[in-house]
Amino acid sequence: MDGSILLVEDDPSIREVTAIGLRNAGFDVTTASDGVDGLERFRAAPFDLLLLDVMLPRLDGLELCRAVRRTSTVPIVMLTARGDTIDVVVGLEAGADDYVKKPFEVPELVARVRAALRRSKRGETEDDRLRLGDLAVDVAGRTVERGGEEIPLTRTEFDLLVELARRPGQVMTRAVLLDRVWGYDYLGDSRLVDVAIQRLRAKVERDPANPQVLLTVRGAGYKAVR
Amino acid sequence: MDGVRGRLTVTLVALVVVTAVVLGVGSYLFVDASLRQRFLEDREAQARFDLTEVIPARLSPDPTQSELDAVLEILRRRGGETVVDLGDGRPPPFLQQIGPALRQLAPGTLAYEWTSIAGVPRLVVGGRLADGPTFYFLHDASEVERALGTLRAALLAGAVVLAVLALIAARRVARGVLAPVDTAARAAERIERGDLSVRVPVTSRDEFGAWAEAFNRMAASLQETIGRLEVAQAQNRRFVSDVSHELRTPLTALVAEASILRDHLDALPPDARRTGELLVGDVARLRVLVDELMELSRFDAAAERLAVELVDLARLVQAIAASRAPNAIVRAPQTSVFVETEPRRLERILGNLLDNAREHAPGAPVEIRVRAEPGSAIVEVLDGGPGVPADRIDRIFDRFYKADPSRRGGSSGLGLAIAAEHAAILGGEIAAANRPRGGLRVALRLPVTALLPAGDDAATDTSQRMAANPPLRELQP
Repeated sequence: MDGSILLVEDDPSIREVTAIGLRNAGFDVTTASDGVDGLERFRAAPFDLLLLDVMLPRLDGLELCRAVRRTSTVPIVMLTARGDTIDVVVGLEAGADDYVKKPFEVPELVARVRAALRRSKRGETEDDRLRLGDLAVDVAGRTVERGGEEIPLTRTEFDLLVELARRPGQVMTRAVLLDRVWGYDYLGDSRLVDVAIQRLRAKVERDPANPQVLLTVRGAGYKAVR
Repeated sequence: MDGVRGRLTVTLVALVVVTAVVLGVGSYLFVDASLRQRFLEDREAQARFDLTEVIPARLSPDPTQSELDAVLEILRRRGGETVVDLGDGRPPPFLQQIGPALRQLAPGTLAYEWTSIAGVPRLVVGGRLADGPTFYFLHDASEVERALGTLRAALLAGAVVLAVLALIAARRVARGVLAPVDTAARAAERIERGDLSVRVPVTSRDEFGAWAEAFNRMAASLQETIGRLEVAQAQNRRFVSDVSHELRTPLTALVAEASILRDHLDALPPDARRTGELLVGDVARLRVLVDELMELSRFDAAAERLAVELVDLARLVQAIAASRAPNAIVRAPQTSVFVETEPRRLERILGNLLDNAREHAPGAPVEIRVRAEPGSAIVEVLDGGPGVPADRIDRIFDRFYKADPSRRGGSSGLGLAIAAEHAAILGGEIAAANRPRGGLRVALRLPVTALLPAGDDAATDTSQRMAANPPLRELQP
């Protein structure tokens, strides 16, 4: 068994076919049809990953995501009806790690789920301490400090920061960042990277409108200050 | 001064000035004549008196020089200057300055002449005694000229003042008369800008009033018609949007199901397998159609956000071509062509143009050209297909337009319409033309707002641009 997944989706057909696809791929799938049911099942048993529809009856997927994040770092992938930037932003804000746009093909979903699971399992043995501008990054402890004060980051934001901080001054393309941080190469959709960088800057830059730590390189990607 | 107002003003002022000149000249001539007449009458009466009473009493029939001197002395004391022509063949030099009528007077007659001697205006009255000498009385007419000069100045000043007053008054009158026209022009401008609620005040019962009422009726009718059309259009758009959204849920299930079925087609019995293949293909087609409908309904709702960044057009086009049409030939200038645009939209536009080229010219080579013109950058997609009949070439950007209705391809007929919408959002435009030697050329023209040099400065600038990117920044907490 590759892992246990809680799938919360209100449409019966989508729920069933998604569950079939994930089970065919070797996952143990538990399903729920609304947000409250989903939260109860999450609290009743541990899961390796949550797959949440955004639009859910009773308690919507974003609320459910926030409720889960209060107590858990379990990887969360959102199923969004719209791939608009706003949905990506709202999902990341709620604490999601990734999103899959509807409609999706099952192999694509499986690849994204696997990537999210891989990501949640790695990094625990690393024992690095990195300096980035006036930021102190404790890779093992997964904390970032400025002047002794901790800056809270989500898992994705932290991974993105570490990825850039490991290679100061080196340009990282969006594709490379997608591959290294999110674990897949999703051609043509660099918004995830852009949005995540914007959110990360809002937390770690003194003046997010005039970034000094995480720099944009025109036409190429991003780099951390040397 | 152009326009009706100017012409009206000029006409009114001209009328006043002409009237003033006519009146001024007329009154001047009258005063001139009467002043001279009175001056002359006085002097003539005096001359007559001198010639009949004063002089004959003191001159003998054959006057001696001393008698003449005595008479001239009396006349001089009374004022004025007197010249005598004795008729002895030695005329005084003064006579050369007056006319012949006065020089050869018949005995016992009187005559006069207005002249100017040594710059002084003079009235010369001459009278000849019967068979005796001729006396010329020279009078200084300066006072007459002075009075006339004062009158001229007064009249001129009056005319100028009148002209100025006329100008002011005329402008005011012209403005007043033409005010309704100004109001109408402003109202029409506001309607042009889309403010259909504008009405003009009906202030008079004249032709302007009637016109204003007609204008208002037209505006009201226009407003109502457009309002109805807008409601209908909004309903139509909402319907398309609702339909697309409602289709999305079953479509999501279908796409997921088809993706699983595709992996198991080989396990199906042969006759079911073909049906399964068709099903998988049609689900993909339906997905494209719903995606494109959703995209169009977003355009219609004007809910599009633009996230522009500075991109190297040639490089981006090469990257897009490499992933979307690896066989296409890309011709780009050696130098970079920078445009401020949204790469995602550009990829969508170019992808749709390439799909279109592939569909209408299957197997034919596709060429992509990038070039820069002052103020714009152009990306052209040229195919080697049959082109589009000239009468239909403008319609290829219409929704659901298909050049060949019988063709049953994967295309929805929305691709070029979507490309055109994206281009408009980027501030550009798309145009199509048949190539001289066959094939279609579709050109995307993008505005070039800034040309920045490549290098670190430019990169810094871009990072600021990105950070100041409104669509993303608005969403930050």
